[in-house]
Amino acid sequence: MRDAVIDANAPSPRLDPVKADAAKADAAARELRRQRERRTDWYYRIGAISIGVVILLLWEALPYFDLVNPIILPPFTKVAYALYTLVQQPFFPRHLLITLNEIVVGFLVGTGLGLGVGIALAVWPPVKRLIYPYVVGFQAIPKIVFAPLFIAWFGFDQISKIVMAVVIAFFPVLINTMVGLESVPADARKLMRSMKATPLQLFYKVSFLHALPIIFAGVQAAFTFAVIGAIVGEFVGAKEGLGYLLNLYNFQLRIDRAFAVIVILAGIGAAGFFLLEWADRKFIFWRER
Amino acid sequence: MSQVPNIGSEAPATGASGRRRVIETHGLSKIFTLSEGSVTALRDVNIAIDEGEFVSFVGPSGCGKSTLLNIISGLLPATTGTVLLDGEDITEPSHKMGFMFQTPVLLPWRTVEKNVLLPAEVQGLNVEALRPKALDVIEAVGLKDFRHAYPKQLSGGMQQRVALARVLTYEPEVLLMDEPFGALDEFTREAMNLELMRITQSAGITCIFVTHNITEAVFLSDKVVVMTPRPGEVSGVLDIDLPRPREIGTMKDPAFADLIFEVRSLLGRHVHA
Ligand SMILES: Nc1ncnc2c1ncn2[C@@H]1O[C@H](COP(=O)(O)OP(=O)(O)OP(=O)(O)O)[C@@H](O)[C@H]1O
Ligand SMILES: [Mg+2]
Repeated sequence: MRDAVIDANAPSPRLDPVKADAAKADAAARELRRQRERRTDWYYRIGAISIGVVILLLWEALPYFDLVNPIILPPFTKVAYALYTLVQQPFFPRHLLITLNEIVVGFLVGTGLGLGVGIALAVWPPVKRLIYPYVVGFQAIPKIVFAPLFIAWFGFDQISKIVMAVVIAFFPVLINTMVGLESVPADARKLMRSMKATPLQLFYKVSFLHALPIIFAGVQAAFTFAVIGAIVGEFVGAKEGLGYLLNLYNFQLRIDRAFAVIVILAGIGAAGFFLLEWADRKFIFWRER
Repeated sequence: MSQVPNIGSEAPATGASGRRRVIETHGLSKIFTLSEGSVTALRDVNIAIDEGEFVSFVGPSGCGKSTLLNIISGLLPATTGTVLLDGEDITEPSHKMGFMFQTPVLLPWRTVEKNVLLPAEVQGLNVEALRPKALDVIEAVGLKDFRHAYPKQLSGGMQQRVALARVLTYEPEVLLMDEPFGALDEFTREAMNLELMRITQSAGITCIFVTHNITEAVFLSDKVVVMTPRPGEVSGVLDIDLPRPREIGTMKDPAFADLIFEVRSLLGRHVHA
């Protein structure tokens, strides 16, 4: 009976000579296409690197030929040297670690909070109807205005910066969690219901995993926001941290050092981003890319 | 030759008459109430389906076929009337029934095998004890080499076969299918039809099948139920007495063409009404 079934996917057991020739030609064509793709890849890579080199050259040349005041924009090599000396200063590790701590704690707490509130809003409609308007209203406020207030409430120490980071980092996680959980296809819910799944099973076998790619996009944004929150908090009032250093060097007009701090902050942002990107690829392997 | 899963083996042999009544509906109707008014989707539907029967529902779009299937499955409450499964009222989904939709609805983070074992996990069955059975069914639908593949690595037809394996593994008494092959190309659909017929016939599963495709309905069924447009009512039931087992060659049978024409004219009466 099985013989009647046309199995389009079964590989044919033996290739006759004509087919074998065709297969060889096919493989050759595929190899050619792959080579061409690889070459195009290289063109783009070289192009991207060239753009970077041009930017660095301009950065170096403009202040050097006095087209831009070197006090406003110190040449690239000077900034590189300032970075090299800055990281060797004995006070530097303390400032770096403090800011890193604020960012990481703010990011983790903000993500946890966003996840928790997002889940509560998505799985419990009465809660959503009660508090969602306030969540949206709160999001409409540019939260930087709270920075001075947080200093007054929580002092000049790390706590006020962490609170700032939490307050702006948690929102993208909250929204993406809620939207992700609510976007479970009706068919998948129906399937689970037809199997008599409990609400808890629906949540952890389907909804949460379905929402995970969307949640993760929010988590990536949360990291960037946590960096902003920590630095803004330090700008407004701090005795230590990279934001404090940046402020200080600005006042002292040591613009090369200020740029060096900016480079370090950019490095932290990029490291976090790529770390999360890597985690995304590893854990959310089913994401459509 | 691969092993055919032994599904529903306790079921008594099917005879031409005197089969057990599996599904019955009495005066079934469904009215959807919306803010703009109400829609009568089904009106006074009375059907009876015996064990091992393959019954197809055809009718114009929006006539309530999906609604009927949802009510029979216990997913949707009827406005009036009752559905009986083995003589008992249906008010909620039952493990005696398996549901297959137009789309495969696979979980993309699970392999083929784990998708097929999902109902076992949900129902708290012993997954390890069921695994050999699941593998048999996966083999029977021709996906043996793909048991560790993820859904996105499969074609549409292969995904729908996973969905078929997912219901068949649990030996449902009744298989409900809402346009399960509607999204497939003609060639794949034909292959799936043969596969479905082979498995459900050998296991004696009662099938309720919704389709837009008259050829498919006649080819697969023992009975074709034709429905009228809104409100959905049964306009006629045709017995398909083509001999079994059926193959592609069955379609050359003049009786086959006659039956298709009959279904078409039953349907056509309403299209221009
Ligand atoms: N949840 C719902 N709320 C309101 N109206 C609905 C709902 N589900 C279906 N209907 C209405 O009931 C009628 C029957 O719908 P149903 O989906 O059962 O049709 P169908 O025969 O399956 O159509 P198709 O062949 O296009 O799938 C339609 O008029 C539809 O608008
Ligand atoms: Mg439908």
